[in-house]
Amino acid sequence: MKRLLLSVSDGRGFDIALVSVPLIFLFTMAGLPLVYNIVMSFQEVDMFSLGTIFRPFVGLKNYTTLFSMPETWPILKNTALFVIASIAGQFIIGFALALFFWTNFPGASWMRGLFLVSWVMPGLVVGAIWNWILSGDFGVLNYLLRESGLITGHIFWRSDPDFSLWAVVIANIWLGISFNMILLSVGLSTIPQDLYEAAELDGANVIQRFFTITLPMMRSTIGAIISLGLIFTLQQFDLFAAITAGGPNNSSNVAQYWAWDLSFRQYDFAQGATISVIMIVFVMIASVVYVRSTRHEVRG
Amino acid sequence: MSWALRDKIMLIIAVLLAAVYLFPLYWMYVTAIKTGSAMFASPPSFWPADPQWSIYRSVWESRNVGRYLWNSVVIASGAVSMIAVLGTGCAYVLARYRNAWVDAGLFLVLMLQVLPASLMITPIFVGFSQIGLLDYPRTAVILAIAAKSMPFFVVLVRATFMSVPMELEEAALVDGNSRFGAFFHIVLPLARNGILVSAILIFMQAFGEFVYSKSMIQAIEYQPASVGLNSFMGPNTNEWNNIMAYAAMYVTPILAIFVLLQRRIVSGLTSGALK
Repeated sequence: MKRLLLSVSDGRGFDIALVSVPLIFLFTMAGLPLVYNIVMSFQEVDMFSLGTIFRPFVGLKNYTTLFSMPETWPILKNTALFVIASIAGQFIIGFALALFFWTNFPGASWMRGLFLVSWVMPGLVVGAIWNWILSGDFGVLNYLLRESGLITGHIFWRSDPDFSLWAVVIANIWLGISFNMILLSVGLSTIPQDLYEAAELDGANVIQRFFTITLPMMRSTIGAIISLGLIFTLQQFDLFAAITAGGPNNSSNVAQYWAWDLSFRQYDFAQGATISVIMIVFVMIASVVYVRSTRHEVRG
Repeated sequence: MSWALRDKIMLIIAVLLAAVYLFPLYWMYVTAIKTGSAMFASPPSFWPADPQWSIYRSVWESRNVGRYLWNSVVIASGAVSMIAVLGTGCAYVLARYRNAWVDAGLFLVLMLQVLPASLMITPIFVGFSQIGLLDYPRTAVILAIAAKSMPFFVVLVRATFMSVPMELEEAALVDGNSRFGAFFHIVLPLARNGILVSAILIFMQAFGEFVYSKSMIQAIEYQPASVGLNSFMGPNTNEWNNIMAYAAMYVTPILAIFVLLQRRIVSGLTSGALK
């Protein structure tokens, strides 16, 4: 007993104690639910069997039901569209801003930090603001688009099935620009300046320098940012809850919102778990890419 | 063109860009103090002619904003204290050694960081209801948030510990300190700032958390401000000035912390995501 105490206060036991408690906590709170999720996706779960652990196993029935539902493929298509459009928008605008602030004028780093405000705002607040900006009759975005001559009538962003997904995409791009910009700025600042001086002496113009120095030097940063963007867009839930709630008629529904909707609106926990399993596989793939692209830094 | 002129032009463009980007925030504050008719005026006025400051008071009282915000503070503080107590030690060990075990632990932590809350809530909810944890809804949410955010905290704080020179700790050990003593008297004080900034970041995230609270807290008197805002926004609402006033009261404390600590928060964020 005394030796154990001594080891915990002054030996290897100290490290093991420090690291094992949080890992056990993480295992019970994140690892077990993950396993439980997979188990539930093979079970029949309803309101009555919710309290019991031993529920009837139904094999792959939940999966076959899921893919025979008429809304499944449109929702998966929405998810892909949402992810691709959000990442493209965030990345392009974020990269443009990062390059602009990279030119280094007085106050640049302070102004750049200001953009990060969106990152710390609660998702529901961002959703509420955009809900109001995108409002069909009185929304300020419609007014600005009309005044600039881009549209003539009103666009009912939230209730028109053709636009509802794009309403959330717009809000999500706004939310993600700051994060893309700041990480790309960090990447840009690690490029050695003398590379550009050498290229300039050799007569390379701005565009050539961008494609032959900036992009190749940023390759691992860009990989990390795109995979992080994928992870974050697949986590986006609050904006859907605040702007469209997946409607109208699932036209803006995506898998991560649908999983929650099935479990907590329609009390179909088995189907909710089934979609979760499928989506978590996708997220895991993205995160392996992310971890690999930051690997050299993880190792220090 | 002189350099000073170029700097000025760049600064003006930067201000314009920031103004466009932050317009939604401005629009929230302006809408909040508009009257009902000014809000729906066409064309909309971009400057409030007749500011209604009393709206804050009436929303605060009618929507019970104080109670919602208090619940948010309770949940966020609970989650942050739990994360800080458990996560700091974990980050320290992961920073101090470099071997296969540490690599495996880091990989695990990074993988746990990415699980979307809206997908994890189904098993967590069913599991918690089976062990009776849902009778203490705020505790349940605190536990769930702690598990969700701890990996991010560990990654951030690990970067801080990496910058504390190991020689200082070794010197303390040579002077007769125990590992325990060296950790609490030497390493922790040196890493204090990094830990504080990371804790503030986690606090701001937990303060705005929505999925877990929405799913697990049924009793309205325990719901945080995010859930309150969600139930305030019905599908066909037209009280946008009231909603924006609510949102402003919710977000202003966070914005104040952000503006005060901007430089530290930005550097903390970037060190975490790319290291």
